[in-house]
Amino acid sequence: MDHSDIRIKRVAAAIGVLLLNPVVAVAADEAETLRQQLTDIKQQMQRLQHTYEQQINALEQRLDGLELQSEKPVATTTSPVIQSTGSSSNSDLKIGLSGLFAAGGSSVDNDALEGLQAGAHDPNQNGFTVQNVELSIGGTVGPHFDAQSSIIFQIDADGETVVELEEAFFTTRSLPWGLQIKGGQYFTEFGRQNAQHPHTWTFADQPVVLSRFFGGDGLRSQGMRASWLMPADWYSELYLGIQNPKGETVSSFLSAADEEIGGHTLIDRDARDLGDMLYSARWLNGFDFSDTLSMNIGVSGLWGPNASGTATDSAIYGADMYLKWQPTYSQRGFPFVAWHSEILKRRYEAGDPGDPARETLKDWGLFTQAVWGFKPGWVAGIRADYATADGDTSGDPLRDTRKRLSSNLTWYPSEYSKLRLQYNRDWTEHLADKTADSLWLQLEFNLGSHAAHIF
Amino acid sequence: MKKIVKIFGGFLLLMPFLSSHAELRVVTTTQDLAAIAKVVGGSQIQVQSLTPGTRDPHFAAAKPSMIRHVFRADLLLAIGIDMEIGWLPPLLQSARNSRVQPGNPGYLDLSRVVPLLGKTSGPVSRAMGDVHAKGNPHYWLDPRNGVRMAEAIATRLGELDPAHRDAYQQRFKDFAQAIDSKLQIWRTQTAQLKDQPVIAYHKSFIYLADVFGFRIVDEVEPKPGIAPSAASLSALVKHIQDDAIGLLILEPYYERRSAHYLNEQTGVRIAVLPQSVGAFPEINNYIELFDAIVAALVNSKGK
Repeated sequence: MDHSDIRIKRVAAAIGVLLLNPVVAVAADEAETLRQQLTDIKQQMQRLQHTYEQQINALEQRLDGLELQSEKPVATTTSPVIQSTGSSSNSDLKIGLSGLFAAGGSSVDNDALEGLQAGAHDPNQNGFTVQNVELSIGGTVGPHFDAQSSIIFQIDADGETVVELEEAFFTTRSLPWGLQIKGGQYFTEFGRQNAQHPHTWTFADQPVVLSRFFGGDGLRSQGMRASWLMPADWYSELYLGIQNPKGETVSSFLSAADEEIGGHTLIDRDARDLGDMLYSARWLNGFDFSDTLSMNIGVSGLWGPNASGTATDSAIYGADMYLKWQPTYSQRGFPFVAWHSEILKRRYEAGDPGDPARETLKDWGLFTQAVWGFKPGWVAGIRADYATADGDTSGDPLRDTRKRLSSNLTWYPSEYSKLRLQYNRDWTEHLADKTADSLWLQLEFNLGSHAAHIF
Repeated sequence: MKKIVKIFGGFLLLMPFLSSHAELRVVTTTQDLAAIAKVVGGSQIQVQSLTPGTRDPHFAAAKPSMIRHVFRADLLLAIGIDMEIGWLPPLLQSARNSRVQPGNPGYLDLSRVVPLLGKTSGPVSRAMGDVHAKGNPHYWLDPRNGVRMAEAIATRLGELDPAHRDAYQQRFKDFAQAIDSKLQIWRTQTAQLKDQPVIAYHKSFIYLADVFGFRIVDEVEPKPGIAPSAASLSALVKHIQDDAIGLLILEPYYERRSAHYLNEQTGVRIAVLPQSVGAFPEINNYIELFDAIVAALVNSKGK
């Protein structure tokens, strides 16, 4: 109906142009334009007529179907009945709004918390944090494409409302040979956690090493990737991607100018050619050991330029593992045990050749977390984080040696909401006290379309 | 280099032929659908269920191994009406198989061929719990619907594989006949339940009640998908006593504590009903499922 309205307006506008602009008709080339417009109007009228005919037909069919249904006796025979499909729209648009809020505090002040809770969607305030309000819209575009987008609303530490286009991309539906192309703005498929949206995380905040390598928002950028479902006897998929290397969501590469990494001030550097793009690769494998035990295991790599010089490069490598156990009988998906670990290593060339401060920064880190859904709606979790770097980095909140232990308890009152209490204990070199304790209460709600059940 | 490109290109071109197969590959979201498809498809098809009968299919997650099955499928059978909404859409998106996308001949939603019960009229809100507004999705628990599903599957198999159309139709007719004669027996065996009030754990047995003529008057869950509380259980105790309700039915995967508590308070009998083929290891096909359900109903005990 919306389209028809727009068409009517267009036709009206075109007629308006015809009536109000007699001068136009004088020039010969403009007469051509008019003829064109008339043809357009005719076509549009025909299209309108066609659309309405279709709609009337559809309505008639639905009426017929309804009459049939009301005549039909209630299921008492074994003769099959085929129902009319009865769907009023051919759109499968899914719209959802998810809100994620936190309240809590830490033994350190807000300035120190910025270094500890470095994720942009982490609870990072003594008091209340609006972590993430996400509007997601997705659906099928046609026989060949699906598309989806997530728009994030957030209130930052200064009380300013921030709007981000987190993701907007298409994926192909029907390429042959197990191929799929994805394009647009999207989270890079590196490891398991990076591509997950904050409301699906098992902990209230993102792992330390991911905040260090990929920044507060996770690694995402504009680009394309192809993936290939390989013809193996188990699930095996290869992802190869190319993305823009520049922006504040591409930390470790051409991230924001004037920021610092290991004492090197970043310059404003652009990608000049294909060699300056961000390249990613991931190989993911999935195994079912039995009806109750499944595992994913993957390795990922990233290669691209960095902004510490005009010819400097970064590389990040990672390995990830996810193991899930669920007993033969389970109520609403419970009980279960899931174990997720990732290890990442970064090699960062800092400073151009000839620069006396030139060095290669080597960082690495890991996290391992286990969650136990012990009864329907209840999940307990424990996580260990570790991150460090070569050299003396003890004063740098993003490169010092840091250990963190977290435990949490989550209650899902229904499929569409959760309440989570999380305690973090930090041991970190850059803080005066060397330790910090934080306690967060997190609440999430989901409105709209049913969220996907992630394995 | 040229040679490598040629070999690689040739391999890519050959791939669709290498993976083609004489038998139709049928993938189903539940074991009940697989069981019916197996009866109708016989040796002409290969059947794989994505979820086991021991679990509630609504709460499955899209596992990578499922992607492989759907990728290779010629026909995907689904329960529909939001039963698989949490995992089938993302799975279809990852599986990159246009044959089995909704709207194409390789996708069959069986909710379209059965008369659905429990459609809600009037406003629906999530405050009411997990309400399936489009109808109750547990329709395979009526053997008459099993026949309807089998016919739709036979018809679709015949369209995808015209060479064996008659075989599919013949097997469907045999199946319909077997169910017809079994239904008489099952009804006789459960005659004592006719018009009796029964309590179910979850709103999942309304089709079973419809076929065997008992009345489900209440649920252990205060709202669909919401766990019972002490208050809701004591209200149930009163309801059971006031209406002299004699039987409580539940699926094997639900917690038993609430049922045992109600039994202790009121003496209501408990029947653990297999809700799907495969729910117990000895249930291998659709007819055995109802044999087991009827046996559990008839032999329901105090504890």
